[in-house]
Amino acid sequence: MKKIKICGVGSVLLGDDAVGPYTARWIAANYEFGEGVEVEDLGTPGLDLIAYMTGIDVLILIDSVENREPAGTVTVYDKAAITRQRPAVRLDPHSPCITESIFVAELAGDSPEFVYLIGVTGEQLDVGAPLSDSVRNAIPLVVEKVLERVVEHGGSFQKRVVPNDAEIWWEAAVSA
Amino acid sequence: MAKRITIDPISRIEGHLRVDVEVENGAVSNSWASCTMWRGIENILKGRDPREAWLYTQRFCGVCTTVHAIASVRSVEDALKLEIPLNAQYIRNLILINHGLHDHIVHFYHLSALDFVDIMKIPGADPAKTSALAESLTNWPGNSKKAFLAAQNQVKGVAASGQLGIFTNGYWGHPAMRLSPEVNLLAFTHYVQALEYQRKAVQAVAMLGSKSPHIQNLTVGGVSNAINLDSLATLNMDRLVMLKKLMEEVKPFVDQVYLPDVCAIAGMYADWFNYGSGVTNYLASPDLPTDSKNTKFDLVGGYILDGNLSSVKRFSGFRDKVFTDGVTEETKHAWYKGEAPLQPWKGETDPEYTDWQADGKYSWVKAPRFQGRPMQVGPLAQILVGYASGDPLTKKHTDKALDLISTVAGHRIGVEKLQSTMGRHVARAIRASMLAELGEKHWQLLVDNIAKGDVAIHNAPEFNGTAEGVGVHEAPRGLLSHWIVVDGKGTNGKIVNYQAVVPSTWNGSPRDAKGQRGPYEASLLKNPIADPVRPLEAIRTIHSFDPCMACACHTFDPEGKALATIKVL
Repeated sequence: MKKIKICGVGSVLLGDDAVGPYTARWIAANYEFGEGVEVEDLGTPGLDLIAYMTGIDVLILIDSVENREPAGTVTVYDKAAITRQRPAVRLDPHSPCITESIFVAELAGDSPEFVYLIGVTGEQLDVGAPLSDSVRNAIPLVVEKVLERVVEHGGSFQKRVVPNDAEIWWEAAVSA
Repeated sequence: MAKRITIDPISRIEGHLRVDVEVENGAVSNSWASCTMWRGIENILKGRDPREAWLYTQRFCGVCTTVHAIASVRSVEDALKLEIPLNAQYIRNLILINHGLHDHIVHFYHLSALDFVDIMKIPGADPAKTSALAESLTNWPGNSKKAFLAAQNQVKGVAASGQLGIFTNGYWGHPAMRLSPEVNLLAFTHYVQALEYQRKAVQAVAMLGSKSPHIQNLTVGGVSNAINLDSLATLNMDRLVMLKKLMEEVKPFVDQVYLPDVCAIAGMYADWFNYGSGVTNYLASPDLPTDSKNTKFDLVGGYILDGNLSSVKRFSGFRDKVFTDGVTEETKHAWYKGEAPLQPWKGETDPEYTDWQADGKYSWVKAPRFQGRPMQVGPLAQILVGYASGDPLTKKHTDKALDLISTVAGHRIGVEKLQSTMGRHVARAIRASMLAELGEKHWQLLVDNIAKGDVAIHNAPEFNGTAEGVGVHEAPRGLLSHWIVVDGKGTNGKIVNYQAVVPSTWNGSPRDAKGQRGPYEASLLKNPIADPVRPLEAIRTIHSFDPCMACACHTFDPEGKALATIKVL
């Protein structure tokens, strides 16, 4: 049985950058997974992503991306596409570091065999703003792409009859 | 004529650290540190319930989650004059200790070690010699010839697949690299092993905080870990034993691997004790309280001025008047309105952006000052304050490290030499070994207290008009303070003002109105730069602070724009 981890990454305080944590929480609240599948909201772990990456066979990341597509576009990148980016000199450990975390894990011989990034093109990154509509509307497609990958690698899921509260606490409070 | 080098890890929207240095005759002659993104996150806290602020502050930064959570609840508790039950203090301390251990291990091995360790030399190492060298340093069971051979083969495998070339901007092969192939192999092997131990420390945090990276168990007034040693659903003896087991695995890694590695590398690069002192005023907070009123602490805090260790003064607690009266922030060179130094309770966060101007405004970081002086914060500040004021725990661990460094270097390295680039790495490792020892102590304190029949975990907060509070934590990167003004009655409260003065604001501060440079800036002056196109030496000094500027945004750019650009003007 493969170990599959679904991780939402991004800052919940910065508008569309919250799409990763938002979607991860939504998935966990609406789906039950078979053994070996975990869902986590990791926030902005930077290089600490490594701690959540080792010992895993399949890593599915959900994050906002900047790829000059229209806002709300969903793009799936595989490991080769992600690692095509060359890590450069790093001054602090906390910049976006998906690529570099993979390299460190790779160098240590403990990198997930499969890595996917389900990217959503963001529209705004305003402090305290909720998701923009274009990004919010893209979430069902993101979920579909995530679940496809889970099944492809032998994981199973079931929709919850009664969903749990997704606890998107930052949005409720922001609009209050 | 001076050459200006810009080291800019961003080319787009995220806010990160940018460093500009002018190089003249092979050394840095002028320097600027700036943060390139406006945070202003404090503004969204105004009007909210103070008891929820920690959930938001925990999201300031994805790496320093726990520290902003703890500083936030402490700020409200200070404003409301709340006592914290002993169990809650110990549980929080255990979280902070394990978070700190994780953070320090990752910082050294996965962010900084490759500033000094040259991977390209590893294929030429003799694993048997590496093993003999390692065994002369410690008894770590992971130092077998077999382990070194495996790590060497791993590097060879990655190299053969062409993937090492991916690290095109790694400075391997740089003339400032000077470890033998065997030492490079030793450090790299531990780099790999460190992944496992930092993960154990994360597990320890999650065991108490119920999750990591975002802990769930804090409340203003205590923690929410129900304690019942016989109940499966609560913090019981089984869980406490599991926690102890994890800590017992991490401690030997710190004592027998991390600290000796740092000392060995420091001894072999002993000239780095001569560079990077920068601002030699130091500020540290007491932490790890051992009573419910926050009057007794296992880590001492205080300040030192002008690098003179005998000038040390200790703080009596989190809210020492000398500290709260002494702190101001100013914005002459930062992209905010207003110029006058403001005490944080009266602080403002109104942006006023200009371009990057060497003589004008050039950073989103404000300039915090203590009694009008720039201050260096971080493990070095904490170790120096502890050592200079005669704290036995600090002295024991520091002397042990200095002895080992001196043996490797072949000449005496005294405590005053820690005021340097290398000293910051050494101090961090010393702090880690202190934390590992204190972890055992606080685990025992918690278990003994519960055994006495005390299961209290929380005191209910009550609002009573306007009040100011400061929440202080000696975080892995140094003194963190959250300044809050609350208002309310009974169980209804709201935030009137909120300012976070974070460690990297102290260290990454721009110049102030008097033109005094911040610690990053000052530490770069006179740094050697052998090759302006590959300014490894400047990066070594910046990394030694463990900078954290992001606290911000996390958009992945699949086009692979450089995360850092080095521009020589």
